[in-house]
Amino acid sequence: MRNFARRLIGQEAGDTKSYGAQIPAAFRGCEKLRLHLATFMGNAGFRTVLARALALSAREVPWLRVVRIKTDGPLERLDEFEAQLDRNDFTEGGEVLLAHLLGLLVAFIGASLTLRLVRDVWPKVPLDDLDFGEGNRG
Amino acid sequence: MKTEAIMKKQSRPTKPASPKKVRNQPAKVTIRKLPTGVRGLDEILGGGVPELSFNIIAGTPGCGKTTLAHQIVFANATPRKPALYFTVLGEPAIKMLRYQQQYSFFDQSKLGQAIRFFNLSDVVTEQDLNAVLEEIIRQVKASNPGIVVVDSFRTVVRKAAAGASEGDMQMFIQRLAQFLTSWEATTFLVGEYVPEEMRDNPVFTVADGLFWLSQVTERNSVGRKLQVFKLRGQASVPGLHTFRIDDDGLQAFSRSLGMNSKDMNGLRGRRRLSTGIPELDQMMNGGLIEGDSLLVAGPSGTGKSALATHFIAEGLRRGEAAIVALFEERPQGYVDRAASLGMHLKTPQQKGKLEVLYLRPLDLSVDEITHEILEAIRQVGAKRLVIDSLVGFEMALAPGFREDFRESLYRMIVALTGAGVTILTTVEVEDNFTSLQYSHYTVSFLTDDIIRLRSVEIDGQLRKVIAVIKMRGGNHSKDIREYVITDKGVVVIHPRSTDYERLITGIPTRTGPRPPQADEAAPEPKATK
Repeated sequence: MRNFARRLIGQEAGDTKSYGAQIPAAFRGCEKLRLHLATFMGNAGFRTVLARALALSAREVPWLRVVRIKTDGPLERLDEFEAQLDRNDFTEGGEVLLAHLLGLLVAFIGASLTLRLVRDVWPKVPLDDLDFGEGNRG
Repeated sequence: MKTEAIMKKQSRPTKPASPKKVRNQPAKVTIRKLPTGVRGLDEILGGGVPELSFNIIAGTPGCGKTTLAHQIVFANATPRKPALYFTVLGEPAIKMLRYQQQYSFFDQSKLGQAIRFFNLSDVVTEQDLNAVLEEIIRQVKASNPGIVVVDSFRTVVRKAAAGASEGDMQMFIQRLAQFLTSWEATTFLVGEYVPEEMRDNPVFTVADGLFWLSQVTERNSVGRKLQVFKLRGQASVPGLHTFRIDDDGLQAFSRSLGMNSKDMNGLRGRRRLSTGIPELDQMMNGGLIEGDSLLVAGPSGTGKSALATHFIAEGLRRGEAAIVALFEERPQGYVDRAASLGMHLKTPQQKGKLEVLYLRPLDLSVDEITHEILEAIRQVGAKRLVIDSLVGFEMALAPGFREDFRESLYRMIVALTGAGVTILTTVEVEDNFTSLQYSHYTVSFLTDDIIRLRSVEIDGQLRKVIAVIKMRGGNHSKDIREYVITDKGVVVIHPRSTDYERLITGIPTRTGPRPPQADEAAPEPKATK
């Protein structure tokens, strides 16, 4: 799942023109997924899944413990964290969070449907070689 | 002769068309019917859901409303005419996708382009009815959908209408219905309603179609039923229809299954079908009349199933495909037992000439069983059908369906004979010694012919006798004949005995001379294979 997240973040790093360019690239994936998923899950629905992903991620990346989610779903104060933290730590946080978010989606709706949703957001990212083996959520 | 007829037809003066009539007959609008994607439901609805109609799918929690809505959506949505599925508070959308994708109709490739989910929870929670309506309008205009579902509409109304007057609510529903129809959408509002609400809730007045799903728990079984309370513009089949939910989603079984005149190709010729027991054929004046329904009644151990197997084996020998619907034993056991009586059913079974159905007991409806049998009849082109037995059949039904057993059985027999098969049904009756029952169900009126098997005490033995009680299509033997069951099957062994009277009581009285009684082996050794 980390590879999956890394690939999406890599796509975002090279994209400075589309939606959310002001959001740090490491976390832009979560935001783009939010916009897409909130359409059918509702903001509150997305927020609860993201909160769970954040809780799981914070076990691996301690600084994520202080990150808060706004009522409508986006993450708060990311630019501040980006300024304070080491670049690699910050990027790792984004990667781990996105990986857990995708992992939760796979757990809830399956790999096939998750990939379908991801393709809606990142139609150009090659995803066919991804392996979603059991227990590969983190 | 033919030419003459044509000449006559041509020379007949043509009736002048009434100018008034021509002027006043503009073409009626053709209402296209959308398939529901639910097996059996289109037939109940009179062809499908009328396009552009405004419908309600109502019922208690867990009765299959969302699944029905999904089936309709997946059956109709295309990228050009997508379906817009509004979810509201209630089942979270992510869980809905989790569960619904388990059904075979769930086609992932349709998600996004052809089927679009939109969550209304935020608007419903934070704003009023007007805002909900505006959001629906905005999304419908953006997607231009052919189908719109609001699931659950009741939640929308409950939450958003808090503080709204009855007038506001009526106006909201009116505007919603008007807008969605004008935008050429067929709409389904899904809601957890109870029948008592139908009287006062304005949404039921506005709706063109009202589909009510319910599930009734009786003892340990659950029966699911569907009723089309109203459907403007076309004739649906009235009454409660049973339905089942399995891996393919809902499957409905119409009360009038197989009873439509177009489906009826029943045989009412005078051809006689051999039962496979020559002496019994003679007693029946040449055999069973094709297209008849024959009831074979008798107590346990008298050979009802064996007789029924003769009927099937004889048909197969003559090239007539057959169905055996079993309720009491497994197909393998049945086939093995037939072989022990000298009738080999494996080969015709493998060749597709014989279908042995084992109908899953305990929670079936008669309509479901009828559907299974009709399907099998169509598949193998069956001419003969055995239902073994009525007692097992009744046991296989959910308790709620047993109450209507006689009525349901009537519908089933009509549907099955209408499908062109000749039916032999067995029924177990308890022998008593004062009367001769034909069945416990008072269903003999359903059958054209009745054969009664009976155990009698003769010369210190429990023997078996057979009699033809009734043949609606003609005369029959009045003899009571003794028979045995050997490894050759049922064999009628003696001519009518005049040495006894009151045979039908089971304890006859000897009136003739007593012949010498030799010690002999039992006249009906059990088959050993």
